[in-house]
Amino acid sequence: MKRTFLGEFEEVVLLTVAILGEEAYGVTVTQELEQKTGRSVGFSTVHTTLQRMEEKGLLSSKMGGATAERGGRRKRFFTVTAFGRKALTEVKQVREELWNALPPQTLQLMGG
Amino acid sequence: MKTNDPMANTQTAQPPRWAGRLLSRLAAPETLEEVDGDLLEMYTYWLQTNGKRKANWRYILNVLKLLRPFAQRKRSKDYPKIYLFSHDMIKNYFKIALRNLVKSKTFSGINVVGLALGMACSLLIMLWIKDELSVDAFHANKQQLYRIYMREHFSGKVQGVIWTPGPLAEELKKSVPEIELTTPYEWASNETFSLGDKIHKQQTNAASADFFKMFSYKLLQGTAEAALKDRNSLAISRSMAERFFGSPEAAIGKAIRFDNRKDLLVTAVFENIGQNSTLKFDCLRSWENFAEDNDWAKGWDSTDPLTFFMIRKDADPVKVEAKIKHLLDKYNRDQGKPFKTQLAMQPFHEYYLNSNIKDAHMDGGRIEYVRLFSLVAVFILLIACINFMNLATARSAKRAKEVGVRKVVGAMRSMLVGQFMGEAILLTVFSIILAVLMVGLILPSFNVLTEKQITLPFGEPSFWGILAGLLLVTGFVAGSYPAFFLSSLSPVRILKGALKFDTKSAWLRQGLVVFQFGLSIILIVGMIIIYKQVDYVQHKNLGYDRENLIYFPMEGDLSKNYEVLHDELSQIPGVKQISHMTSSPASNGSGTEGISWTGADPNDKVRFTPVGIGYDFVKTMKLKLVGGRDFSKAFATDSTGFLINEAALKVIGYKDPIGKTLKWGDREGRIVGILKDFHFQSLHSTIRPLIAGLGARQPSGNVIIRIEAGKTVETLAEIEKICKKLNPKFPFTYLFTDQEYARQYQSEQVVSKLSNYFAFLAIFISCLGLFGLATYTAEQRTKEIGVRKVLGASVAGIVGLLSKDFLKLVGIAIVIASPLAWWLMDQWLQGFAYKIDIEWWMFALAGLLSVLIAVATISFQSIKTALVNPVKSLRSE
Repeated sequence: MKRTFLGEFEEVVLLTVAILGEEAYGVTVTQELEQKTGRSVGFSTVHTTLQRMEEKGLLSSKMGGATAERGGRRKRFFTVTAFGRKALTEVKQVREELWNALPPQTLQLMGG
Repeated sequence: MKTNDPMANTQTAQPPRWAGRLLSRLAAPETLEEVDGDLLEMYTYWLQTNGKRKANWRYILNVLKLLRPFAQRKRSKDYPKIYLFSHDMIKNYFKIALRNLVKSKTFSGINVVGLALGMACSLLIMLWIKDELSVDAFHANKQQLYRIYMREHFSGKVQGVIWTPGPLAEELKKSVPEIELTTPYEWASNETFSLGDKIHKQQTNAASADFFKMFSYKLLQGTAEAALKDRNSLAISRSMAERFFGSPEAAIGKAIRFDNRKDLLVTAVFENIGQNSTLKFDCLRSWENFAEDNDWAKGWDSTDPLTFFMIRKDADPVKVEAKIKHLLDKYNRDQGKPFKTQLAMQPFHEYYLNSNIKDAHMDGGRIEYVRLFSLVAVFILLIACINFMNLATARSAKRAKEVGVRKVVGAMRSMLVGQFMGEAILLTVFSIILAVLMVGLILPSFNVLTEKQITLPFGEPSFWGILAGLLLVTGFVAGSYPAFFLSSLSPVRILKGALKFDTKSAWLRQGLVVFQFGLSIILIVGMIIIYKQVDYVQHKNLGYDRENLIYFPMEGDLSKNYEVLHDELSQIPGVKQISHMTSSPASNGSGTEGISWTGADPNDKVRFTPVGIGYDFVKTMKLKLVGGRDFSKAFATDSTGFLINEAALKVIGYKDPIGKTLKWGDREGRIVGILKDFHFQSLHSTIRPLIAGLGARQPSGNVIIRIEAGKTVETLAEIEKICKKLNPKFPFTYLFTDQEYARQYQSEQVVSKLSNYFAFLAIFISCLGLFGLATYTAEQRTKEIGVRKVLGASVAGIVGLLSKDFLKLVGIAIVIASPLAWWLMDQWLQGFAYKIDIEWWMFALAGLLSVLIAVATISFQSIKTALVNPVKSLRSE
């Protein structure tokens, strides 16, 4: 099977889930994204992305942690699966290879 | 409440409730809980950062985005796409479908025949409705044509009346600029025409010169302009032209003798009028000519003809109606009394279907039958579809393995649904072919019954549209449940072996059977009630004896020679009583408002039905007198006297009325007798006030003769001889009162017959389904029955065991359907002023019938199963 392809947004969400660790569920991921990336993301977009990545096997989830402010409804906590971790590292590798392939002059031109 | 303070109301603020409800209804169920919670949390977060309005807005937006069609799971792209319509698969689908059809012949037979019957029935009804709706559609100006009816005060109530005064048509044209053309239309009468030695009776109506300009009857000769322009003009039909002149071409411009009194000139020949027209006539003479012979037609007091008019293309009907509403007010038709009658109008294209009057509006009539039968068509089709659904689900156990294998190999659910739908539609195609064949066979007798000329319109695209529609609707309704049910089975469970159906599908099956039988019971109750009502109408005591009562028109010289005629007829041994009257005994629709009496309320318009009668009228008709006496030659004053009926007495309100005076126009006279109310119109309307005066000096209308029972033939022959002698120029035509009376209920008769057929069909199709289901359960329980027999169960016990479940369902159906049927039939009976009461035994009978039929159906199967030798059924164990 060929390598899984991660979309840019998927990648960011997946990373956020990884950052949040034990506390990753729809709301925290959305808020974290807003704060970290500064772009406003719709909750529904985040939700569908999380669903999709679970389908692909990048994430796994379990239910738990009902609180009063959610009207007593449980949360679905997401954790990154081994396959998800592999996908993330692969992406990172590809990025780094590309960065490394940059000629140094160009970097300087870019003000890096 | 508006606020920009982000901290306001964070405790109490709630997201819009409807959005939440929408979410729980339509979002994907498997993730609903956490999404619900997450959104609530997000909402409080948005409240704090953006304020209430924005938070609400965002909440709603997010909810909408999460609804199922937008937030559906994406299919994984890892698997190769399966082509639904690959050539090989389609071949396989067909093969499987055909194999299944052939394998279970009983089931397929029941399905195809049941569906075909249902569809044939619906198709027939659709064709009939199409035909009903197409009546009067051929008039080019149909959007501009209207008919006038009047609303008048009648003993404190407003009532609609379709009969209008003769001069009204002219008046409309004069006083309302939007009205372009008008015509009075006098009711049909059979008149005698003669040309040389050809003497025939023809149905004759009268209309004004505008008639052919308004209505698009095809003229073979002559022009619409000139057709009825002259006083002596006559427009005749093709068949009448051929009868008298040989051809339409030969007829035009020729003279023909009318009633042996005057010559009329043929100015137009029109194509024979078929069933697609409400107005039917053999010939039309001009209104002026008619008014010449009937003085009352020139006055405002008497009402008889219908009045039609045509508005300009650009005119607004609402405004026209407002203009004509009080048109009659300026007519002091009653010497100084304020006249309160209002005019109203009805579009002409509604006339055919809405010809009855309810209170003061035109409503009801044939339209009710159109509605009734549309309902029946849907019912019967539904029953047939339910059969299909039930049988298909019952058999699904046999097909479950196939579904399992297909799923394992990678069939998507949608493909399986498509496959089973396709099979249902394939079966429906067979049925529809059969249905069209059936309709083709039934149509001739159906046409005889309904007096129509319906053909299967293969040439019309709309008919193919109807067929295709019927095919798809039936296929989908019938195939949907089995398709979705079968495709929902999980392959693991199926292929493991034992497939236990959950009770859900059994529940649904039972529900459908209840529904089916409920519909059948409604139809059976309808059949019983319609039959009883028609029977009641036919045999109701009308207040006079309509058996052995014949009447014939006094034409030509008969009126002058009435005395001679009377004497000669009296000589005939079979003739018991002779009299005459201006109308016919069974129907009299004319009216007059020219009756006045002391103490009459000047604001109250009362329309009396006037009739001129001869001596012995009461005896001849066998009427009852409540007070006073019949006219008699012994009292000279009787020539101006009156007989009135009880309804008229109620209106007039005299205490001890005998001898009190009444005025009819300017004829003043005393009340001689009070007649017990009798029905001189159809039972659709209540008995109107009737006033009868002696018309002995110049008898007109009909001679009525009471004949001795059992001597009809020879007596009629004698009567004919005498009439021929006294009146050689006219053919002798007579009518039986009872037949004429029955003719008024033709549509009820037809409905009664049709309802019998439909009810029979419905119960037959239901039983087909029941038979199938019984077969299925019997098959399922073969082993159980074997064991029971071995342990000593009797055949009767086993039959009872198998029938019990089904009978329960039929019982439930009876309970549910009875009130519904009662309500529906009560609606139908509202159309009759005199009607039967709905009684409990009708429902009991309907219930009993359905139970009996169901028992017969089930027991056939269950007895067969119960008689099987247990050795055979248990051999494999």
